[in-house]
Amino acid sequence: MVGHKKKSLTIRYIIAFLLLLLMIFPYLYMVLNSFADWSQVDRKLIPTSFTLHSYEWLLSGGQSAEPRPWIRAFFNSLIVSSGSTILMMITGVVVAYALAKLQFRGRNFLNNAILFQMFFPAIILLVPTFLIIQRLGMYDSYLGMILPKALSLWAIFMYTNFFRAIPDTFIEAAKLDGASDWQIIFRIILPMSKSITIVVFLFLFMERWTELLWDMIVVKSDNMLTLNVLLSQMFGPYGGYPGPMYAASVILTVPIIILFLFFAKQFKEGMQFTLK
Amino acid sequence: MRTKNNNGMGWLFASPYLLYGLIFFLIPLGWSFYLSITDWNLIAPVFHHVGLDNFIKALKSPGVHAAFFVTFKFMIVFVPMVIASSLIVALVVHGLPRFKGLFLIGFFLPYLASGVVSSFIVKGFLSYNSPVNTFLRGQLGLDINWLGTPLSALLLVAVIIAWKFTGYYALILTSGFESINQEIYEAAAIDGVNGWQRFWRITLPLLYPALFTTLILSIGVTFGIFTEVYQLTGGGPNFGTNTWQMEIYKQAFQNLSAGYASAVALIASVVTFISIFIIRKFLEMWGKRNGWT
Repeated sequence: MVGHKKKSLTIRYIIAFLLLLLMIFPYLYMVLNSFADWSQVDRKLIPTSFTLHSYEWLLSGGQSAEPRPWIRAFFNSLIVSSGSTILMMITGVVVAYALAKLQFRGRNFLNNAILFQMFFPAIILLVPTFLIIQRLGMYDSYLGMILPKALSLWAIFMYTNFFRAIPDTFIEAAKLDGASDWQIIFRIILPMSKSITIVVFLFLFMERWTELLWDMIVVKSDNMLTLNVLLSQMFGPYGGYPGPMYAASVILTVPIIILFLFFAKQFKEGMQFTLK
Repeated sequence: MRTKNNNGMGWLFASPYLLYGLIFFLIPLGWSFYLSITDWNLIAPVFHHVGLDNFIKALKSPGVHAAFFVTFKFMIVFVPMVIASSLIVALVVHGLPRFKGLFLIGFFLPYLASGVVSSFIVKGFLSYNSPVNTFLRGQLGLDINWLGTPLSALLLVAVIIAWKFTGYYALILTSGFESINQEIYEAAAIDGVNGWQRFWRITLPLLYPALFTTLILSIGVTFGIFTEVYQLTGGGPNFGTNTWQMEIYKQAFQNLSAGYASAVALIASVVTFISIFIIRKFLEMWGKRNGWT
C-alpha cells in the first residue's frame, strides 16, 4: 500500500514537471533563439550554435537609417509603468481606506458605483478618453500614458476587501492616541497589508508593462514609445530579423519575470487571501 | 469612531475616485454617446449630426457582424480550452506534498508575457521554415498556412491566450480544491463511491465556486481580445479573428472615423453587457439547479 502510494506520487511529480516544461517551453524557445546563430533562428527546435549577434544588432540600432532607441524605450516603459503603478496603489489605498474604515454618508453609493464601473465594458471609453487626453495637451507625453491609468478599480476593490478584515479596534485605539487618518494608513494599515500590497503591485505593474493599445494610440514620436509598442511596431507586420525580434522580446520579458520571482514568496502568501 | 462625524474625511479620501470617475468615466461616456451621432473624422474642425446613420451603417457592416460572431467563436474555443488546461494543472499540482508552491509559481509565469511577445513566439515557431512546419511537410505532406485560414488563426489566438491564463486560473482552482475537506472523500470511500461518481457528486459541487470564478473571468477575457489579434492577423483572414476591440481600433485610429467607431463601441458595450449578464445568470441557475451553491 505504501509502496503503491509512493509510486503514484512519483508519477504525479513527473507529470507535473512535464506539464511545467510544456508551459515554459515558449519562454525557453524565445531565449534560445535570441542567442542562436542567425542561420538557425526558427529553423531548429533547439539551436546548437550561439552568438550575441542579435543583441548587438539591436543595441547598435539595427539596419534602419534611424537608430531605434531600444534603451530609451526601456526607460520609457519603466517611467510609465512605475508612475502609473505607484499612483494606482496610492489612490487604491486611500479610497479603499475611506470605503472600508470611514463612516460617511454616501459610502454605500460609492461602493456600488465602483462595482458597477468594474463590470462596465470599458471599450466604449477608448475614443473619448483619447480625445480628453488630446484636449488636455497630453498627447504624446508621459502624462498621457500615466494619468488615464492612475486609478485602478480592481486595486480599490482588493484593498477594500482586505481592510475590512482588519479589526476596527486597532484604528480606534490609534485614534484615541491622537493619530490622524494618514498616520493610521501609513503606521497601522499598510504594515498589516504587505502581502496584499505585493499582489496588487505585481498585477498592476505587469499589466501596465505589457499594455499595447493605449500606449500605441496616445504616442506619436519615436522617442516616446514604450518598449512593448516599439517591439510591436519594429517587428510587426513585415517580419524580418527574427533573431533581434527574440532578443527584444527577452529584454521586455526578463525584467518582469525577475521582479515576479523576487516577490514570489510574498505573492504566494498574498494570493491566499485574494482567492478566498 | 462611529460617534465621530467622518463625512468630510470620507469624501476627502474618496476624492481621487470621484475626480477620476468624472474625467475618465462620466465625461467620456457622455462624449461617446454624442460622438456616435456625428460623422466626425478625428481631425476636421467641422462635422455633422447624422442621427442614427452610424448605427444603421454599423449594423449592416461585415466588420461588426464578424466582431459579434468572432467573440462567441472565441468563447466556444477558448473557455473550454483554458478551463480544461487549468483544471489539469490544478488536479496534478494540488495534492503534491512538496514543491507545490514552486510549481504554481512556474505555471504562473506565462501570465507575465506581453501579448506582443507571445504572438511573436508563435509566429516564429510556426513560420514557413520552422521545424514544426518542415516536419509536417516532409513527414506528413501537410502544408499548413497557420495564419492563413480563419479557423486555424482563431485557434492559434485562443491557444496563446489560454497559455497565458492557465496558471492564473489553476491558482484559483487549486485553492478551490484545497477548501474541500478530505474527510468527505474518506466518508464517501466508506460508502463505496467510486471515481467518476466521486468527481460529479463531490468534487464538482464543492469546486463550483472556484469554477464559477474562472468561467466568468475567462468569458470576460473573450470580450477584450486585442493585442494577439492585432499582432498576428489584424483581424483577418477574411474577418476571421476580427474582435470588437480590433474593429473599433481600425475604425477610430486607422480610418479616423471617430463618430462611427463610437457607435460601434456603443453596440459592443451593449452586446458585452447583455451577453455577460445572460451567461452569468445561466451559470448561477446551473449551479442552483444542481444544488451546488
